[in-house]
Amino acid sequence: MTLCMPAADPAVMVRRASIAEALRGLVPPANVITEEETLRAYDSDGLTAYRQPPMIVVLPETTAQVSAILKYCAREGIKVVPRGSGTGLSGGALPLADGITLGLGKFKRILEIDYPNRCIRAQPGVTNLALTQAVQHAGFYYAPDPSSQIACSIGGNVAENSGGVHCLKYGVTSNNILGLEAVLIDGTVVTIGGKHLDAGGYDLLGVMTGSEGLLAVITEVTVRILPKPTAAKALLLGFPSNEAAGICVSAVIAGGIIPAGMEMMDRPAIHAVENFVHAGYPLDVEAILIVELDGPPSEVEELIARVAALAREAGACYCRISANEAERLAFWSGRKNAFPAAGRISPDYYCMDGTIPRGALAKVLARIREMETRFGLSVANVFHAGDGNLHPLILYDANKPGELARAEAFGAEILKLCVEVGGVLTGEHGVGVEKRDLMPAMFNDIDLAQQQRLKCAFDPEGLLNPGKVFPTLHRCAELGRMHVHGGKTAFAGLPRF
Amino acid sequence: MTNISIASEAHLVEAIASATGPLNVEGRGTKRGFGRPAPSRPTLSLAGLAGVTAYEPAELVLDVKPGTTVAEITRLLAERNQELAFEPPDLGPLFGMAPDSGSIGGAIACNLAGPRRFKAGGARDHLLGFSAVSGRGEAFKAGGRVVKNVTGYDLCKLMAGSFGTLAVMTALSIKALPAPEKVRTLLLLGLDRTAAWEAMVKALSSGHEVSGAGFVPASLAPAFGEERLSSGVTVTALRLEGTARSVADRMTALRALLGGRSEELHTANSRTFWKRVGDVQPFAGDNRAVWRISVPPTRGPDIAEIVESIPGADAYFDWGGALAWAAVPNADAKSAEAIRTGVAAGGHATLVRAPDEIRAAVAPFQPLPPSLAALELRIKQQFDPRGILNPGRMWAETG
Amino acid sequence: MQTHFSPRQLADPALAEANSILRACVHCGFCTATCPTYVLLGDELDSPRGRISLVKEMLEQDKPATAAVATHLDRCLSCFACMSTCPSGVDYMHLIDTGRAHVERTYRRPWAERALRATVGAVLSHPGRLRIALALAWFARPFAGLLPARLRNMLKLAPKRPGVTATGPGTYPAAGPRRMRVALLTGCVQSVMEDSINAATVRLLTRHGVEVVVSKGASCCGALEHHLGRLDSARAAAVASIRAWCAEIDGKGLDAIVANTSGCGTLVKDYGHLFRGDPALVADATRVSELVKDISEILATLPLKFDAVQALRVVYHSACSLQHGQRITAQPVKLLTDAGFDVRQPAESHLCCGSAGSYNILQPEIAAALRDRKAANLAAVQPEVICAGNVGCLVQIRSGAKVPVVHTVELLDWATGGPAPEGLAAGR
Repeated sequence: MTLCMPAADPAVMVRRASIAEALRGLVPPANVITEEETLRAYDSDGLTAYRQPPMIVVLPETTAQVSAILKYCAREGIKVVPRGSGTGLSGGALPLADGITLGLGKFKRILEIDYPNRCIRAQPGVTNLALTQAVQHAGFYYAPDPSSQIACSIGGNVAENSGGVHCLKYGVTSNNILGLEAVLIDGTVVTIGGKHLDAGGYDLLGVMTGSEGLLAVITEVTVRILPKPTAAKALLLGFPSNEAAGICVSAVIAGGIIPAGMEMMDRPAIHAVENFVHAGYPLDVEAILIVELDGPPSEVEELIARVAALAREAGACYCRISANEAERLAFWSGRKNAFPAAGRISPDYYCMDGTIPRGALAKVLARIREMETRFGLSVANVFHAGDGNLHPLILYDANKPGELARAEAFGAEILKLCVEVGGVLTGEHGVGVEKRDLMPAMFNDIDLAQQQRLKCAFDPEGLLNPGKVFPTLHRCAELGRMHVHGGKTAFAGLPRF
Repeated sequence: MTNISIASEAHLVEAIASATGPLNVEGRGTKRGFGRPAPSRPTLSLAGLAGVTAYEPAELVLDVKPGTTVAEITRLLAERNQELAFEPPDLGPLFGMAPDSGSIGGAIACNLAGPRRFKAGGARDHLLGFSAVSGRGEAFKAGGRVVKNVTGYDLCKLMAGSFGTLAVMTALSIKALPAPEKVRTLLLLGLDRTAAWEAMVKALSSGHEVSGAGFVPASLAPAFGEERLSSGVTVTALRLEGTARSVADRMTALRALLGGRSEELHTANSRTFWKRVGDVQPFAGDNRAVWRISVPPTRGPDIAEIVESIPGADAYFDWGGALAWAAVPNADAKSAEAIRTGVAAGGHATLVRAPDEIRAAVAPFQPLPPSLAALELRIKQQFDPRGILNPGRMWAETG
Repeated sequence: MQTHFSPRQLADPALAEANSILRACVHCGFCTATCPTYVLLGDELDSPRGRISLVKEMLEQDKPATAAVATHLDRCLSCFACMSTCPSGVDYMHLIDTGRAHVERTYRRPWAERALRATVGAVLSHPGRLRIALALAWFARPFAGLLPARLRNMLKLAPKRPGVTATGPGTYPAAGPRRMRVALLTGCVQSVMEDSINAATVRLLTRHGVEVVVSKGASCCGALEHHLGRLDSARAAAVASIRAWCAEIDGKGLDAIVANTSGCGTLVKDYGHLFRGDPALVADATRVSELVKDISEILATLPLKFDAVQALRVVYHSACSLQHGQRITAQPVKLLTDAGFDVRQPAESHLCCGSAGSYNILQPEIAAALRDRKAANLAAVQPEVICAGNVGCLVQIRSGAKVPVVHTVELLDWATGGPAPEGLAAGR
């Protein structure tokens, strides 16, 4: 592991047995995991490049138990790493050697479905897909649909502000939740929002969304549900080059069309996926676009024709329109299984998540191709083209010495390129540990200090998920005294961990 | 008192860093009367820091300075068939100011959104990135210029609706979206409250993509200026937007779904109608106190009943029945208590317009439970430890 | 993902195989979503990804299994929903087999546990012993309250009346011209507890021109023992079956070996792999594996002649061994629909009913929770009859259902002129 985490506190680690004993008094004893073999199973989330078994895993079952655990940890100065389904791709749930991993896997109940107010109240461990499944028979769905939606939890979605293929038109998690119950580090249970819009006061709902488990532990989520569009159709378009596909993407958006989803895959990704899903993707093209239009049937027909025409102008060499629901879902199933399907062509992959202006698509893809040669690793590209959110999958073999380090360096270069062309480091996977040390590429010390100040308002001792998001660890007291001088902080040279 | 017209970010840093006491912060001042009354203090005005610095229609983004008027931005976007999808309302006239004079900075800082809120999101959802100067005099930036961005905390959300109490924005990147080609509004006439809410729930639960839904009681219908609405019956309004054929098809479907006596407004009349709804025009001309009450949609009728029980009060509804605009003759403690009791089960009520002495006595913003109030105070202290920026604007004890 | 086996370890074919399986896993966690025990318990350790980690650790370090590791591996139902879900194609089935064998070898369970597992293996997979046990159970029923919980549970699953076998070894000729000749795997448990299924299968096949042979010696496939991690006993049972069928193949010839218990079918289809390290048997085992078909696969190739049936509302429960083990999902539904039934699919059809071989005896709490969840999902579509393609599921679901629970072939036999299945006698 080339990653530096905050040094573990030996004074806490020697108390491991007594801490476990105390936790067994707060939750059913079987819900406290301490054996070495079993802790290993919790040593990483969906980002396997970094691993660290936690000191202890605790699996509470109620909000009161979460509150009691946090109160205990705050009193004893013990670090806490919240964890949902462990599908995150930025290492947001990477454990700490001297920290407790607080798993919310037992919070699996849907508490209320309220159709007239068009919302669901659910515990955080409920999977994203389960929300839609709970209401689809009544003609509703929950819009954000990250590719891992079958397994990822709604609590984790809130923590990461997850997106998905349909957020181009329907927004990301923060646009689709109404309320939260959360527990602060001192054990205080707070309720933010509810079934109404725009909770009064500062927008804590917005601030908590995407806070990567650093501000509070979410114990309940109220999400908005939407009526299912009356019609949905998808186009499967094939292009002779990435450039042509990129031109098509820009042309659609510039043409005033906001598709429900607009996804792109390049040749290596198409081949990996088709092998598993048999979605009927064309194998003799360089790039495919899946463009979905939804809404009233007449509008869908009209827009499908317009997109098909724009695609032809951009040089599309393959065009298939989903003939029925099964075919539309088949187009998507390939896309949604794309990441893990890469496991079929490579033992390991490192998934990037930068966002760029749509207009820079072709240029960035060309630069990534150059880097492939330089780093000696290949890349499969899968991404949300409609909103410029790239997911280059860098294929590597962790068993080969040096490959992980090369993959990391490659990834860092891609993300810096994203920032260089006017984009950002992460579109939906979060900073976590993965992009933590790249934050200075986008933000200076003062920018980062503001974010840490928000953290200080919630968790002044820095016990919740430390080591994530921020490249340098400031004590809140230090931040308070921080002196700004000509745009530079006094301790800009402070070592990163 | 002194009015400090900010000309640049450096100037703003200087003004805040050198401040020895609290400052009032405003964009173009149209919503000065919103929030707790500010004592007479030096005022930082952002009106001079104006202008669109970049507009990229194909990227759906524009960069503006905070003092730019919303009206100017709207005009610019319209040239490329785009718009601000959150429909920032023009509350100037409600506060006795000239129309079309409010700033984009102010619209975001007050987190205002029009009738499309439940579908397209609020101001908070359309701010992609910003630069600002905190109460510590630190110039910083957050967010970016792309829609998909989770790099660091979402400080855009924190800025939207913070009424200038944490930091003062100097530049904003805002989302632009294609404007609908056609708009049509179905007006269901004469429904009682129960039937009206049933119709709204039905319409919003359908796949017809309704982008505006409101209820106007008979007493207020004439205030919407439409001749057809002057007949003294209630109006339940449902808006459809999109391509011409799509709107026509959905209108047919919606009429079939809901039945009953109805009228239709086409594009221009629709736009006028919904602007009146969003801008609270029915109450612009009178001198009653105005409340903005946000509740779960099905709680709307209860709020309507509470408002009705206050003599001389009126309310109309937006956001599918989830947002009430209520005008109350005497915004005394008693009526405030009645309204706030109505939202106790979930929601919030904001006293948007009232004489200073009333806004000093009745908390204009919904009081928070102690745990959240303490948290918000800690946030305020982190960003503005000296209490320079708009202190007391939101709550007496915090910011 | 990264693995840490030494070259010496990789020389062992079992570890080499485990290594290549582990390398395919990218730790995405999709498998957790469809794993019945993770859905119920919410602990990573009770998910496929967690168990992969436990097995990896144990094998890499060559450490004896601890009680905790054994507990979490034991809780795996071997339903293989995870394999249907896994986008990177991790062969969890063979990894968990290796893991279980390691547990059997290195971990000494508490004596009560050992006794129970030995009993299950020794009784269930031997029709003669099972018949005696069931007779005892029939007598014991009134005294159930006196028994320990898990034995009581075994008793609950025992049929009210020990069965009489009507499909003993022998040849059942085709009616009319012969289209094909098949061997029927009658199943050790099924032949005793639900022989009506075998009888229906024989009627259905012979009626449509198939000669059916029940080979003497092929009485148990070894799946129950295999499930318990006792690979040697499993192989011993399998050898007898392989010999019997190969004799048949080399004699009058076989077009197929038909399994109407999908749990058995799944293992028999994997015999080639089970004997991969046994040069003397691998060829015959593979021949058998290649010939075995689920009954629904055979029926799909026959021109079935359906009488007009009452369009009963049937909810089809997809047995895990069929849908995940053999990836057979569409054929049974199509056959039932063609027969004229109103076939419905329940919610959470991917979730196991909790039967899973002897799981409902060894893990009664989890099995009961899964049964209740399954029963509720099935009842939600308000069926008149529940059907499935595996005897274990039938017994398990019956204990939680209010309508008749029958095998797919019983409905198809009925629809093509056979007798009505028990409980559905009220005309058609």
